[in-house]
Amino acid sequence: DLRLYLLLTQVSCCQVWGRYNDDFDDGEDLAEFDDNDFAEFEDVNEDPTVEVESEPPPKPAPSSIPVEDDEDEATVEIEDGQDEFEDADAQDQDMYSKYDKDEFEGYEKTNSPFKDTLIYQDVPAHLQNSWESYYMEILMVTGLLAYIMNYIIGKNKNSRLAQAWFNSHRELLESNFALVGDDGTSKEATSTGKLNQENEHIYNLWCSGRVCCEGMLIQLKFLKRQDLLNVLARMMRPTCDQVQIKVTLNDEDMDTFVFAVGSRKAMSRLQKEMQDLSEFCGDKPKSGAKYSLPDSLSILSEMAEVSDGVMDSKMVHYITNHADKIESIHFSDQFSGPKVMQEEGQPLKLPETKKTLLFTFNVPGMGNTSPKDMDSLVPLMNMVIYSIDKVKKLRLNREGKLKADRNRARVEENFLKQTHAQRQEAAQTRREEKKRAEKERIMNEEDPERQRRLEEAAQRREQKKLEKKQMKMKQIKVKAM
Amino acid sequence: MLINGINGVFGSLVQARPPAFVCLCSYKPPSTDSNPTLEDPTPDYMNLLGMIFSMCGLMLKLKWCAWIAVYCSFISFANSRSSEDTKQMMSSFMLSISAVVMSYLQNPQPMSPPW
Repeated sequence: DLRLYLLLTQVSCCQVWGRYNDDFDDGEDLAEFDDNDFAEFEDVNEDPTVEVESEPPPKPAPSSIPVEDDEDEATVEIEDGQDEFEDADAQDQDMYSKYDKDEFEGYEKTNSPFKDTLIYQDVPAHLQNSWESYYMEILMVTGLLAYIMNYIIGKNKNSRLAQAWFNSHRELLESNFALVGDDGTSKEATSTGKLNQENEHIYNLWCSGRVCCEGMLIQLKFLKRQDLLNVLARMMRPTCDQVQIKVTLNDEDMDTFVFAVGSRKAMSRLQKEMQDLSEFCGDKPKSGAKYSLPDSLSILSEMAEVSDGVMDSKMVHYITNHADKIESIHFSDQFSGPKVMQEEGQPLKLPETKKTLLFTFNVPGMGNTSPKDMDSLVPLMNMVIYSIDKVKKLRLNREGKLKADRNRARVEENFLKQTHAQRQEAAQTRREEKKRAEKERIMNEEDPERQRRLEEAAQRREQKKLEKKQMKMKQIKVKAM
Repeated sequence: MLINGINGVFGSLVQARPPAFVCLCSYKPPSTDSNPTLEDPTPDYMNLLGMIFSMCGLMLKLKWCAWIAVYCSFISFANSRSSEDTKQMMSSFMLSISAVVMSYLQNPQPMSPPW
């Protein structure tokens, strides 16, 4: 594909340039022309106001001068066009002295009026013999070439980084998962053993076939090194490559809790963005000092018991040693993704939740990553595997379980209340629409008899509805009593 | 000693390989309807911009429009997903290149800078 694009670019360039591929000499001679060079024009028309257009005549001039010189004097040797014009003035004098003065009646040889009355038109830029006038186009083409070069280099770098990551993690993954690498195209789940390239900067890997989890999706989200604009933007604001790991669990693999730990910035962002964190972890992110975590990290938790359960010594050890690489770790049984913007008037359904463990790691190097840096992420993958097993074993005690159940019930109730109000509104509007439509129909009815009958039918229906409502209210009152 | 050795080997094998009754779930690409925020809109915007600039370049005979259109096509191509239609990319390229060629055929003068 790339070759085709390069070829097309070349063809278009050649088309533009080919039109002007004339045999023009350099245009430097233009500046050196003197009156005498237009000697041939003097003979032809005595009108001093000659407008010189088109190309300057360096070629005809050399050939005309020797013809005149041959008449009396020795032939001037023509070496090249430049030399002849050095003594142009002298030649001028000689030429005029040869001729009979009577021939030129009314003609006064003066240099200055000739100079003044000659109007030198600028040669249009595209007919000038220089590529310099096309400097903008050359700049554009150079920019395009630079973009293409950057694309190739960036694409290759990303590809090498992805391959390096996969090579360093392959053994660990293959020993833990039966299925490593599935692109979802075949009907049955088959292990391809390769990364699935989604983009020039995003690579996916699906792993499945392990106890305690349904599957694990690893996304290598590299920087857009193939896009020159992005490269320039990153010079202003450096960002780093990320590895995102999403482990989906079966229902029996995880107890009911919501927990997150990560950098302070990431935690405050996630608390606002994520549906489950905003609902279940309402308090501000807490410092991890209790578990001797570095200050750069903070914790969001549904309850203290969950934090205590997750932050065991091994987990703390992993997190402390690799704190610079951890962006966020998010365990949740109510994970439904980021908050969805609701459209007006659309009744909500409870978002589908899935028991998930989410890990976001920053690749060291802050953009200037080398394939060797990928080895430093292997311990983090070990942490992921350890977390999967840990979450399976972690069970809340009775008190914690009650609290968790109450939280979930509360969230569901709130949600239903919101949607109930919205649903009622929607139903009300629908009823009003119906009434309006019926009234219109009645009004449009031409036959007065039919109109009267329709009106009566509508009234009867309304009466029935009112009666039903009243019956319901009475029943509710009786039940309350 | 041989039996101990064999036990050791089997022990490690049992730990490494998952049991046979574990289900293998096939990969389901996440649907874009559920999380539209995660989709990168750059290639689509650039494609649209490229087409608009190409049209401007062709209709209004503006060379700089045509050149910007070429750049937009390139940027759109660089950011595109591998699942995207190549025909769309190719048509965008062709349109922008034809805009450049046509503006130069109509007016071979070099482009003048805006300053």
